[in-house]
Amino acid sequence: MHLEPTMKQAVIRRTARKYAEERLAGTAVDMDVTGEFPMDVAREMAGLNYFGLEIPSKYGGAGLDPVSSAIVIEEVSRVCGAMGLCLAVHNGVSAFPVYQFGNEEQKREFLVPLATGEKIGTFCLTEPNAGSDASSLETVAVRDGNHFILNGNKIFVTNGGVSGINLIFCIDNPGEEKKRFSVFIVESERDGLEKGPSEDLMGMRGNPVCPIALNNCRVPMEHQLGKEGEGLRIALSTLSGGRLGIAAQSLGIAQACLDASLKYAKERHQFGQAISDFGAIQAFLANMATRIEAARLLLYRAAGLRSRGVEYTKESAMAKLYASEVAVEAARCGVQIHGGYGFTKAYPIERYYRDAKVCEIYEGTSEVQRLVIARNVLK
Amino acid sequence: MNIAVCIKQVPDVPSIRIDKQRMTIIREGVESIINPLDCVALEAAVDLRDKEGGFVTVLSMGPPQSEEALREALAAGADQAILLTDPNFAGADTLATSHVLARAISKLEPFPDLVLCGSQTIDSDTGHVAPQIAQELDLPQVCGVNEVHVEKDFFVVKRVSDRFLDTIRISMPAVLAVSSELCVPRHIPFGHLEKAFSDCNIIRWGMNDLELNPEEVGLKGSATWVARLHTPPPKRKGEILSGSPQILAGHLVKKLEAMGIIDEEEKKP
Amino acid sequence: MKKKRNRNSAQGVWIFGDYRNYFQDRVTLQLISKGRDLAQTLETEVAVLVLGEGIHQYAMEYVAHGADVIIAVNDSRLKEYQVETYTTVVAEIVESYQPEILLGGATSFGRELFPRLAKRLNTGLSADCVALEIDPDSGLLIQTTPAFGGEMLADVVTPNHRPQMATVHPGIFKERPHDSSILGRILYPEIDIRPDERIQLVRSRPHRTGKTNLEGADIVVAGGRGMGPKEEFDMLYELAELLGGEVGATRPAIRAGWADEERLLGQTGKTVKPKLLLSLGTSGALQYTAGIQGAETIIAVNRDPNAPIFKMADLALEGDARSIIAALLEELRKRL
Repeated sequence: MHLEPTMKQAVIRRTARKYAEERLAGTAVDMDVTGEFPMDVAREMAGLNYFGLEIPSKYGGAGLDPVSSAIVIEEVSRVCGAMGLCLAVHNGVSAFPVYQFGNEEQKREFLVPLATGEKIGTFCLTEPNAGSDASSLETVAVRDGNHFILNGNKIFVTNGGVSGINLIFCIDNPGEEKKRFSVFIVESERDGLEKGPSEDLMGMRGNPVCPIALNNCRVPMEHQLGKEGEGLRIALSTLSGGRLGIAAQSLGIAQACLDASLKYAKERHQFGQAISDFGAIQAFLANMATRIEAARLLLYRAAGLRSRGVEYTKESAMAKLYASEVAVEAARCGVQIHGGYGFTKAYPIERYYRDAKVCEIYEGTSEVQRLVIARNVLK
Repeated sequence: MNIAVCIKQVPDVPSIRIDKQRMTIIREGVESIINPLDCVALEAAVDLRDKEGGFVTVLSMGPPQSEEALREALAAGADQAILLTDPNFAGADTLATSHVLARAISKLEPFPDLVLCGSQTIDSDTGHVAPQIAQELDLPQVCGVNEVHVEKDFFVVKRVSDRFLDTIRISMPAVLAVSSELCVPRHIPFGHLEKAFSDCNIIRWGMNDLELNPEEVGLKGSATWVARLHTPPPKRKGEILSGSPQILAGHLVKKLEAMGIIDEEEKKP
Repeated sequence: MKKKRNRNSAQGVWIFGDYRNYFQDRVTLQLISKGRDLAQTLETEVAVLVLGEGIHQYAMEYVAHGADVIIAVNDSRLKEYQVETYTTVVAEIVESYQPEILLGGATSFGRELFPRLAKRLNTGLSADCVALEIDPDSGLLIQTTPAFGGEMLADVVTPNHRPQMATVHPGIFKERPHDSSILGRILYPEIDIRPDERIQLVRSRPHRTGKTNLEGADIVVAGGRGMGPKEEFDMLYELAELLGGEVGATRPAIRAGWADEERLLGQTGKTVKPKLLLSLGTSGALQYTAGIQGAETIIAVNRDPNAPIFKMADLALEGDARSIIAALLEELRKRL
C-alpha cells in the first residue's frame, strides 16, 4: 500500500495549481458575480486536456489515471468551484460513459469532441418528479423505424446552458410493467431538444445549470449508448465514477477553506496576538486539516480501486459522502474563523460557503450515499 | 537546427533548508520546480525547432530527483533528456557545474548549433553558468537575449545591456542566455505530461560516462566555497505611524522632501 | 607593481574600469574606494584596468578618485565592449601580473565578462556582492553575496585559486571625492589583440523604455488589493508620474484588471531595486516581497498593523491606502 504521490502526480498537481492560480482566480470571482460561463477560458483549458482527463489520447484525451484526474479537479475546484464542477461532470458522467459503453462510431462522433473540449457534455437524469427516486423518471423513448422519439423534461442539468452533447436517461419500453432504461446521446442542436433559462443559484454560480426538454425529439437508433436495456447498468456505473469527481471537487473547496483560514488566522490580531495562537482557533484548524486528510485518503483509495478495475461502489460512495460533508463543515468553520469579515465579499470564504452546500446534494444526496454504503456493508 | 538547453531544478523559495556542513541546500523533501528562466529557454528552443526543424536536447546536472524536471521538460516539447548525476557532482560551484555541462554538451552527436540557458537561477542568482559553458566550449555568447532571429549560419539577437539596446550578429554555434522577455513558456497539456512520465526515457550520464575525474567536479572541482550562510540583518526599523489620512500624507510628503524626490515647499514670508 | 613569475605570490587589488556609462554608473569609482581599504589591509596597491579607445580621460578620472595604478590598453579594436575579446586581453594581463584580487561592477557587461574571464583563468567568482572584507586570520577576501533571491546571504571565499574575483552590486560602497592633485602611474602592457570575428555588434542605441521600465526605475509605486477598485488604483499612475516613477502591482491587483501583467512585481514577475518603493495596500506576501526587498527605502501603507509588509518597511503608515494617497495627491498637485 503506497500512499505517497508519484513524481508524475506531483508534477500534475503543480501544473494544475499553477494554471488555476494564474488563470482562474479572476474567473472565479467573475463567474460568481455575473453568473456567466467563461467560454474563452474553457476553450483555453480544452487545449490543455482539462476536458478529456481520463480519456485515452487516441480519442483526444490525456489518458490520466483516476488519481491524477482527481488531483486536477481538486486543484481547479480549489480556485474556482463552478469550473471544477463543470469539469467533474463533463469528465466523469458525460465523456467517460461514452468511452466505456460506446461503440467505435459513437466514440469517433461524440467522444472525440467531448475529450477535446470542442463540445461540453451533460448527463441528464433528474426530473421534476425524479430526484433521489431516479427510477420514477418519466422521459420516454419510443421506437419509430430507425429512430427513437424522445419526450420528457430534465431539470438541474449541470453544464446544460453551454453543452453540445447530452446523455439523456429515459425509459425505452413505456407501458410495460417492468421498466427498462436506456441512455441516448443527443446533440444540443437536434430538433426537439429545448434548453430553458439557467437557474439563479446560491453557489457554483456561472455554471449554466438549466432544464432540458425533449419534445418529440427524433434521435437515430445509432445514438443509443450501449445495448438495449443496458441503461440502468450504465447509469449505476457512471454515477459510481462520477462520485469520485464530486469528491475531488468537494475536497478542493475544503482545501481552499483551510488555506484561506490559515492565512487569515495568522494575519488577524486580537488581544495583542495572532488569533492562530488561540486554542479555539487551533481546534478549528486541526479538525479541518484532519478531516481533509481523511477525505483525501478515502478519495485516493477509491480512485486506486477504479484504476485497477476492482469494484469500488462502496468506496466511491464513502468518498463522495465524506468529502462533501467535510467541505460544508470546513466552509462553516472558515467563515467563523474569519468572523465579521467572513460574511463580506471582501474575502473568498463566503463564496466557498455558498459553493460547498450543493456537494451534499447532487449526484446522489448524502442520504442516498448512506443507503448505498449500508447496502454494501450489510451484504 | 540542433539545440541544447541547460535546465536546473531549484527549490521553491519558501521551503528552503540548509546543510550546514557542506554549505549546500538540502534538496530532499523540498518542493522543486524548473528554474523559471530555464522554462523560457526551453520554450524558445521548442519554438525554434518547430519553425526551423531540428532536435532539442535538454540537460540538467543534479541529484536523481532532477529526473522530475527533465520529464516536465520533455512534456514541454524537448526531444531528448539527459540527467548528469553522480554523487561526486555534489557541492559544485559554477566553475565545476559549467565544466560538467560543457563536457556533456561536447559529447552530443551532432554538436549543437545553439546552447540556450536561462540567464540566472532563483536560488543562486549568479548568471555564471552560460558564459562559463561558452568559454569552456570556446563559443561566442550573448546574455540577456530578448529576441532571436535565425539566418543561414548565424543568429541576429537583441538584448538590453546597461542602458543600451544592442543588436548583435553571432555565428553558429553559439551560447545564448535568455531574459524573461524573450517569450512566455506555454502551459503544458496533461496528455504531454502523461506521455513524458510513462513512455519516455531519460538518459543518465555519470562522472565516468563524461570521462571526468573527481578533482574536476563537485566540491573538489570548485574554486569557491561557502564559508557561512546567514540571514540578512533586518535593516528596516520603521515604527508604525497612524492618524488621519491628511496627517499620514503629511508624513509621506516630509519623507519625499528628505529624499530629494520633491522640492521643499517655499517658506511663506 | 611588477610582473610576477612566481605563481605563489600574487599582489594588487585590481578593478575593471567599466566606463561606458561613466556619469550614471559610478560603480567603478565605488570599487576604487573600497579597493583602497582592501589594498591597505593587504599592504598592496589599487590598480584599474582600462581597455578601449581614447581612454586616457577615464584613466585620469580613476586616478583622481583614488587609483594608484592604471593598466591601460588603448586600441581601436577594443572600442566596443566585447566579452570574448576583452576576456582574452584581460586574461593575458592578469596572467603576467597575477593580482591578488580582481573586482568589477555588477553591471550587465560586468556580469557577462567576469564569469567568462573566471573560467578562462580557472578561478572562483562570486556575483553581485553586497559586502567585501579581508578575513583577519586567513587573509582571504570574504565575498558576501545574496542567495535565494536575497532571503539569505552567503559568505564566499576562494581559498586556492587566484585572482579572487567578484562582481559588486552598485551603490554598496561610497566613492571618494575627486582630487586632481593625486598622482598615479599608467602602465601600457603590450598585448596581442585578436578580435573575435564570430560576434559583431550590428547596432547599439540608448534603450528607449517600453511601456514600463520597472527594473530601471528609481521610484516604484506598487499597489495591491487594498488600492482597489480600479478607479482608486488609477490614482497610482498619476502619483508615479508626479514623482517620476513607475507603477508596479501585486498579483491580486493584476488579476482584478487594475494593471497589466508587465507591471507584476515578485517571484513570477519583475524584481526591482529602486531608491524608493511605495508599497500601498499590499499585505506583504512572500511571492511579492521577493521582488521588492532589494529596494533602498520602502514605505508601506496598509490598514492592518500586523501586515507582514511592515516588517520590511523603513516607514510604515497604518491606514486606508486609498484615502492617504488621495490626500497625498492633493498636496502634490498643489506644489507642481
